Amino acid sequence: MFSLRLNLWQHGIFLLVLALVSLPLGFLILGSFSTARLPGDFSLDTMGLVNYIKVYTDPGTYELFTNTCIYVTGSVLLGISMAVTLAWLVERTNMPGKIWIYAGVPMTLAVPGMLQAMAWVILLSPRIGFINKSLQSLFNLDEPLIDIYSLGGMVFLEGLRLVPTAFLMLVPLMRGMDPSLEEAAAVSGARPFSTLRKITLRLLAPGLVAVMIYQAMTALEVFEIPGILGLPAGIHVFSTKIYAIVRSATFLPVYGQANALAMVYLFIAVVTTFFYTRLISRGERFTIITGKAYRPRQFDLGQWRFAALGFVVLYLFLAILLPFLAFAYASFLAFLQPPSLEAFRGFTLKNYRFLAQYGEVASALKNTVVMVVVTATMTVALSFFVSLVIVRSKFWGRKLLDQLAFMPHAIPGIVLGIAFFWVFLKIDFLPIYGTVWAISIGFTVSFLSYGTRSMSASLLQVHKELEEAAYVSGARPWRTMRRVFLPLMMPTLVGIWIWVVLHAVRIAGLPLILYEGQQNQVLSILIWNMWDEGYVPAVAAIGTLLMLTLLFLTLLVRYVGFRRQIVQPPLV
Amino acid sequence: MIRIKNLHLFYQTERGRVHAVRGIDVDIQQGQFFTLLGPSGCGKTTTLRSVAGLEMPEQGQIFVGDDLVFSSTEKTFVPPYDRDIGMVFQSYAIWPHLNVFENVAFPLREMRRKFSRRQIGDKVAHALALVQLEGLADRPAPFLSGGQQQRLALARAIVKEPRVLLLDEPLSNLDAKLREETRFELRELVKRLGITTLYVTHDQLEALTMSDTVAIMDQGRIVQQGTPVEIYQAPREKFVANFIGLTNFLEGQVASAGTSVAGIGEVMTASGKLHCVLPDGMAAGEKVIVVIRPEDINIVADAAPAADNVLRGKVDALIFMGDALECQLSVGAQKLRTKLHPASPVRQGQTVLLQLPAESCRALRA
Repeated sequence: MFSLRLNLWQHGIFLLVLALVSLPLGFLILGSFSTARLPGDFSLDTMGLVNYIKVYTDPGTYELFTNTCIYVTGSVLLGISMAVTLAWLVERTNMPGKIWIYAGVPMTLAVPGMLQAMAWVILLSPRIGFINKSLQSLFNLDEPLIDIYSLGGMVFLEGLRLVPTAFLMLVPLMRGMDPSLEEAAAVSGARPFSTLRKITLRLLAPGLVAVMIYQAMTALEVFEIPGILGLPAGIHVFSTKIYAIVRSATFLPVYGQANALAMVYLFIAVVTTFFYTRLISRGERFTIITGKAYRPRQFDLGQWRFAALGFVVLYLFLAILLPFLAFAYASFLAFLQPPSLEAFRGFTLKNYRFLAQYGEVASALKNTVVMVVVTATMTVALSFFVSLVIVRSKFWGRKLLDQLAFMPHAIPGIVLGIAFFWVFLKIDFLPIYGTVWAISIGFTVSFLSYGTRSMSASLLQVHKELEEAAYVSGARPWRTMRRVFLPLMMPTLVGIWIWVVLHAVRIAGLPLILYEGQQNQVLSILIWNMWDEGYVPAVAAIGTLLMLTLLFLTLLVRYVGFRRQIVQPPLV
Repeated sequence: MIRIKNLHLFYQTERGRVHAVRGIDVDIQQGQFFTLLGPSGCGKTTTLRSVAGLEMPEQGQIFVGDDLVFSSTEKTFVPPYDRDIGMVFQSYAIWPHLNVFENVAFPLREMRRKFSRRQIGDKVAHALALVQLEGLADRPAPFLSGGQQQRLALARAIVKEPRVLLLDEPLSNLDAKLREETRFELRELVKRLGITTLYVTHDQLEALTMSDTVAIMDQGRIVQQGTPVEIYQAPREKFVANFIGLTNFLEGQVASAGTSVAGIGEVMTASGKLHCVLPDGMAAGEKVIVVIRPEDINIVADAAPAADNVLRGKVDALIFMGDALECQLSVGAQKLRTKLHPASPVRQGQTVLLQLPAESCRALRA
């Protein structure tokens, strides 16, 4: 009954999202045919297939394909097998210390990929790596043992980074499995191994495949890990190659070629997303969560319980503790050297003092705060109204709107960066290019799918009768909004806001493309640039502080998430 | 107290417009407990929500008290927050971010008339006492059992002493035992407060035990309206007979419209001629369905072979139900069910004589 009045703003939201999604995509596609060297010179008269021919006849592109395949496959296999093991251990065995794993594994999400990669360079680079140096002096070797600047290094690190998300996706799968399904197999005469093979794994299969596809998409899109570990050694994957074309130091960039390369990248991403969503919706037929309260049978590990605990501790050590310690240690050094008594004696605060005095740090910090606050607020506000239309209205285009808002999910950050780069250069009557707003707008679009998904799920949980009860209790619409609707939605709004802050702070890909100079240099770019210029101990100091901040924010999210569970309406 | 005139309502769904309420007329007196009973999708909840102002009807008029709250001709629509109503939702709709006290105090705080803190405290305490939730005022709402939530929802609905109480299947989320106890308590409470109550349910037992008047709804219309006794004993349509209680149906044709007893006529069925209560204005030859409740059929040891309404049947199955023995019989090709005392000596396979009292056999137009 109230929807008639709201029709106007519904159209407004629809048009806004349509513009935010289709403008950059349109320019991305058009730009790939542009023969002009710079986006600013783009015109419809200078179109051609030159970029495509150039990119796809280059033998380097096929090496790129191979590298990307090895990198994605390797890291997904490594990440998933660790995550499956961890999830199985905590859900289906009697290993000790589970509560610490539930708490610890998601914490690894707090460490930015860029910093983690840098920490591992400090530990494992052939020239300065502490571990390499120690091993070399221990065994009297001439050559370093491990080279982190390699495909193997990228696989190892990205594999580690995929674990927490995969773990969080797998735990409910394992928990949701009704043990009576396995018991039924047992009483039908199946031995434990064939129960595992014919029942347990078959039931897990759709979920497992979905998690793998999701993780492959993540690995494909990530820029920071291959950027830190692959770029210096000239080992390219898709995301770094596109970056290299646009931000080449040695020759003039050819933007159209980046677009042409981004097309195939985009194509892969869209196709996998399509199959992923198909799989998810089909998987619902397989849903085995019955909502009944039961305790899955626990596998008795016997003496292996402590080996299992050791595995988990090792993972947590490699994923959070070791990188953090390496950073914290390096941040107190005057120059980089492996840990030794002498090094500890020479500890100094000069890196922290340097940060306090260095002008670029202050401006980057200011830019970052503005950027994350603007991004988080825009994302929350936009997702709120978009979800309101999708979930609550009878607007004709609400399904289309839902799909539009989900689309950026399939677009890798680097590609989205390039797309917006074209948009901002072309609509130069709006002074957006080169400002923090450019980065904020890009991020808002890229976080829109997460925002609307969580917002819609949460809106669906606020049962409509809760508001109707307020109306019949005499509350006018705005009072109902203020006293019932907003308080119920608040944990979600705050949760999404912090989530966006956490991600906007640490993602480097998109800002690196839209970066123009000090006036829109944010923290992630500053770290990247300082690292590039070799200020390793100073980077370690920033990194240490940043990690602590992000850890605190992550704990805050967990707290808010916990509150949210209490606040959920317990419908009988 | 509540008057609904010729109410029509359409829903917009994926498959087009659905005519959900098709001309409802209801007049509920002050203090009456009025129930809309029907299967799901019959439009009963939609009608209730129209009274609350949560749905926008297409056509008709609704009065709450003397206030016209909706009229299609006068373009009147009073929003729900300006109607003098209290409502209990099927999900209870207890606000999870407020505690018990604040949930109940909410309607008072939204009233135009401002109450002092003391008055609000007193009124809330009174409402909570009425539903026996004293002592739980500080409890966060999510930490209540299903039964407590239901009572909290009721307390919230009556706290501002509305003229009209709307109840949307308030017992359907309770377990069977609790539902039975609550039925009585709920009726007792609203009667004591003298609030006019519009109740919606699909549970015939709730409707029969709680209501002053029951209206049976089917496909957006009221099929029959009356006291619970009338509805049960004198259904006027097959739908009503079928929906309420267990019923035997016998197809037949009117043999003669009148006999020596007023209102009783003769119907020819496949199992023989039966004396039945006929609707007014029936003529010989019209097709009818004879309806008789299982508990109205008597098994008789012996009867004059030519006696009225006596059929010979064979016992197919006996089902022990605790308080009764359900007996399934065949009379020729016709299947009948009767209820016997659990100690009845009837055996399976036995042939028995059934007596169907004429005043309990009701012929309905087919």
